[in-house]
Amino acid sequence: MRYDLSLEIGSDYAHPVSTARHVLRVVPGTLADRQTVRDLSLTIDPEPESRRDFTGFFGGQASGFVLRQPHQRLTIRLSATIEVTRPDWRGAEASPLGDLREALRRTASVAPESPHHFLGPSPRLARIAAPIAAYAAALAGEARTVHEIALALMHRIHGDFRYDPKATDVETSAETAFALKRGVCQDFTHVMIAGLRSLAIPAGYVSGYLRTLPPPGKPKLVGADAMHAWVRVWCGPEAGWIEYDPTNAMLAGEDHIVAGFGRDYADIAPLAGTLKGLGGQNAFQRVDIAVAD
Amino acid sequence: MKNEHVARGEGPHLGDLPLAYRPKPGVRDEMVDGNGLVRAPWRNLIRTLSASGPHELGERFARAERYLRDAGIHQRDYGGGPSARPWPLSPFPVLLSEEEWSGIAAGLAERATLLESVMADVYGENRLVAEGLFPPAAIAGNPRFLRPLVHVPPRGGHFLHFLAFDLVRDPAGRWTVLADRTEAPSAAGFVLENRIATNRAFAGLYDRSTVERLAPFFASFRDGLRAHLGDNDERVAVLTPGRQDPTYFEQAYLARYLGFTLLEGEDLTVVDGELLVRTISGPKPVTVLWRRLMGNRADPLELDENGLAGTPGLVEAVRAGAVTMVNALGSGLLETGIVAAHLPAIARHLLGREPLLPAAHPVWGGAGAAVTEGKHLIGPALSGLPVFERNSGFRKAEGQSLAGDPSAVAYPLLDLSYTPVFEQGMLISRPLIVRAYAARTAGGFRIMPGGFARTAAGEEGDLLAFHEGGRSADLWIVGSRPVPAISLITAAEQRPVLRQAGNLPGRAADNLFWLGRYIERAEGALRILRAYHARLAENGHAELPLLASLTAYLAELEIDTAQPVPDMLIANIDSAVYSAGNLRDRFSPDGWLALTDLQKTAHRFREKVAAGDDAAHAMTVLLRKLAGFAGLVHENMYRFMGWRFLTIGRHLERGLHMTLLLAHFTHPDAPEGADDLLLDIGDNVMTHRRHYSVDTTRTSVIDLMGLDPYNPRSVLFQITEIARSVRQLPNSEESRMRLRADMDRLEGALAKEAAGSIEWSRFKTLEAELEAFSDALALAYLT
Repeated sequence: MRYDLSLEIGSDYAHPVSTARHVLRVVPGTLADRQTVRDLSLTIDPEPESRRDFTGFFGGQASGFVLRQPHQRLTIRLSATIEVTRPDWRGAEASPLGDLREALRRTASVAPESPHHFLGPSPRLARIAAPIAAYAAALAGEARTVHEIALALMHRIHGDFRYDPKATDVETSAETAFALKRGVCQDFTHVMIAGLRSLAIPAGYVSGYLRTLPPPGKPKLVGADAMHAWVRVWCGPEAGWIEYDPTNAMLAGEDHIVAGFGRDYADIAPLAGTLKGLGGQNAFQRVDIAVAD
Repeated sequence: MKNEHVARGEGPHLGDLPLAYRPKPGVRDEMVDGNGLVRAPWRNLIRTLSASGPHELGERFARAERYLRDAGIHQRDYGGGPSARPWPLSPFPVLLSEEEWSGIAAGLAERATLLESVMADVYGENRLVAEGLFPPAAIAGNPRFLRPLVHVPPRGGHFLHFLAFDLVRDPAGRWTVLADRTEAPSAAGFVLENRIATNRAFAGLYDRSTVERLAPFFASFRDGLRAHLGDNDERVAVLTPGRQDPTYFEQAYLARYLGFTLLEGEDLTVVDGELLVRTISGPKPVTVLWRRLMGNRADPLELDENGLAGTPGLVEAVRAGAVTMVNALGSGLLETGIVAAHLPAIARHLLGREPLLPAAHPVWGGAGAAVTEGKHLIGPALSGLPVFERNSGFRKAEGQSLAGDPSAVAYPLLDLSYTPVFEQGMLISRPLIVRAYAARTAGGFRIMPGGFARTAAGEEGDLLAFHEGGRSADLWIVGSRPVPAISLITAAEQRPVLRQAGNLPGRAADNLFWLGRYIERAEGALRILRAYHARLAENGHAELPLLASLTAYLAELEIDTAQPVPDMLIANIDSAVYSAGNLRDRFSPDGWLALTDLQKTAHRFREKVAAGDDAAHAMTVLLRKLAGFAGLVHENMYRFMGWRFLTIGRHLERGLHMTLLLAHFTHPDAPEGADDLLLDIGDNVMTHRRHYSVDTTRTSVIDLMGLDPYNPRSVLFQITEIARSVRQLPNSEESRMRLRADMDRLEGALAKEAAGSIEWSRFKTLEAELEAFSDALALAYLT
């Protein structure tokens, strides 16, 4: 499937901001056998005094830029054409949970794809709250495969949680979201990662985009009007990584476009920044993904 | 026995020990061997000491104490309450022979090189993980592993430049490495201070010519860092977490000693990959950063988002290869127990043999290796704090299994050696840990011939004894021949260097400016309060119109005359101390001492001084102390950019003070006695008498205190001085040129005024103009 992606992300400030430094992590990259990115365009308004692009540890594209003229609005516009192939997840080859520890022990690597990075703790998931651990433990069993456990947890979260953009914000912890049983994709994702890690299953955060308009006859997916997030799980040495979208109770498929991977939100926040000003800001995001002809 | 040893020339023994020192039985003593004989490196010292009585020794050791107190080292007093230095000095040194030390030094240099290789592998190819020498958890599960630094080659090719090692002597007498300090090792500055203080104690008593000197080590470290600089504009800076850090004083001391700029994260900015310090003449490149800030706190954008003491964009500068980090960000990983547990195998693997120096490595619980026998210390696997530090989280355990707990490590419970410690007039035997230092120089790692010796507070001979604190002592490496004297000035430094006008960071300029203002504000308040209380004492009650007018005037400045030593006065003095505390690298110890003395006295007076005569006298005492500080600064401070901001601050505040006073007390409604009061406050009574053959009139007062160009308290004098200093500031930008023009114009206009034609409201306008100038100055230079 081929998509035209357009993103507008930024902030309105109540008072002029004199200087600001940001790191932007929204640009999808080409992933072998999964997505190909073409005709990429990225503009930043106001024009940065300096901008340096780099690749993050987990492979995502990032841009660091500095603004040193007073501004009350920052707008970043991204457009690209992306060819997505449905990932061929190998859930049937997933390891039983009981074998995972030994499989990890034999994985002598700390390369970015290594599961060892995703066992926690990580910046936003420094401690796993006992209620989340108990919630996940109820679904676990030594004989069940990691894939079965991840699917079960995904469905359980999808069933128990209500999608409610007003209930949480980007700073909300997994623990709070879990207590509320409400939130957005970021919260669902964090809760699921926390639950899996409490079972010593390597789990990470995927930031990306979701097709806005459904194919004819299918319902519109939730979370498509902003950037999306879902979970990646290491299901053992044979199955490798598989991605689960707890917001929509589905595996990541042809409708999911990857912007980057991280251990949690902090590693891959779309727009992070430090700025000098009197404070008061209102962040905005608009995403449009149309099927290209 | 006794006579035999003496006859064989083996020197002093138990009976000759100073202050009747007795080694603790059953442990290894650094000074006295198992036969009660003084060990070779100590013999000369003990012979000399035996000749002096206990009283003289006490006197001498008190001298060392006094040095540290005078240097302001004994207190971490940044304007708050006095709190003791974490490791107070025992002026009795620890001695090791040059021969033994050279073995240790060779071992440490080897270890430093080994650690460099491990760093390069962890942030590079990760062969150690692939070959099974590191469990992946030691890296991927380690919070001190900083992912953004992976595959970022360090500028200049090296990760590690300045290291420390904590060493203990095991029961077999071998020195053993207990901990590697790779992140931002502290206390090297205390080593220098301990050396100076200890030297004071032994001056004229003991020939120290065979003791290895410290200066050459620091000189070669400094030169090693400077070798990373490019053109003349680039600089080395010390990055401090700030004054609230327990070792801030030491950081400021080292920066001053080595001639580096002391900076906080907010002084720095990164533009297009270049690390710049904001100075009063614009941004200047910092190409070597010796950080005393934890790596993960160094950049809130790319590292720990809570690291607000850091500099957003620092990682970008590192990635761009624009800055040499001392040490590389992420080097703290090497301090964690889980890494230490695997170093012995890695050392053997990389060296192909056992390392020269043994190390007391922990066992990691995740390796499946159980610790079941004997006593040991169990603690966190991912903490970087050495076992013996308070809060390290280590506790004693016996026969406990660690298997299956990857979050824990266990250290063997070592028996330490003991050394004499001087405490409360006695020499007592205490366990010893030595911190040694390695610096990268042009010729590889060089080991400081000396170190930071620490002794435990308690008698217990294990590492946990240090949790209760203790004392530090100087470490003397004693050779057989005199050591040549080398000063810290090297050949490279003897070339004339052009002064860098832009060396003053904007934040330092801001602190100097405000120090000047607070000091002057305090002085202004003291003078008025003294005048008030003197008149109150004369009059007996506060009903006099002049006193009521003074009370109203002071109330506008939030000074309450009902308080004999008003809170606002104290607050001004505290603020001055606070500003000065941010400038410890720019202040002489004398100046700092005078200022904190003023503060302490003011706080004491607040508790006990009564209104009237008592208060007037107290204000005189405080004025004298304040003048003492101002005098020290005036006599000793280098007349450059920093001085100018301090001067502008003082004159600006005095100008504001005088315009306010004149506006209030030359007002037509001012009460009787206002003119004389003004002269009194301005210290101008005598001058007025000499200059004017008339009684005090409003016109004569305005002439003398407003317009006299030679009166150091007149408004015109302040404006002239400000204008003079502003003319000497860097002034490339338009806003700065305007600042200068504005001040010149103000000075010209006021010089033309005549006393008879000027009235109170003119001073109101002047006050507003000075306030506007202050804002414009801050905007042009201080942000």
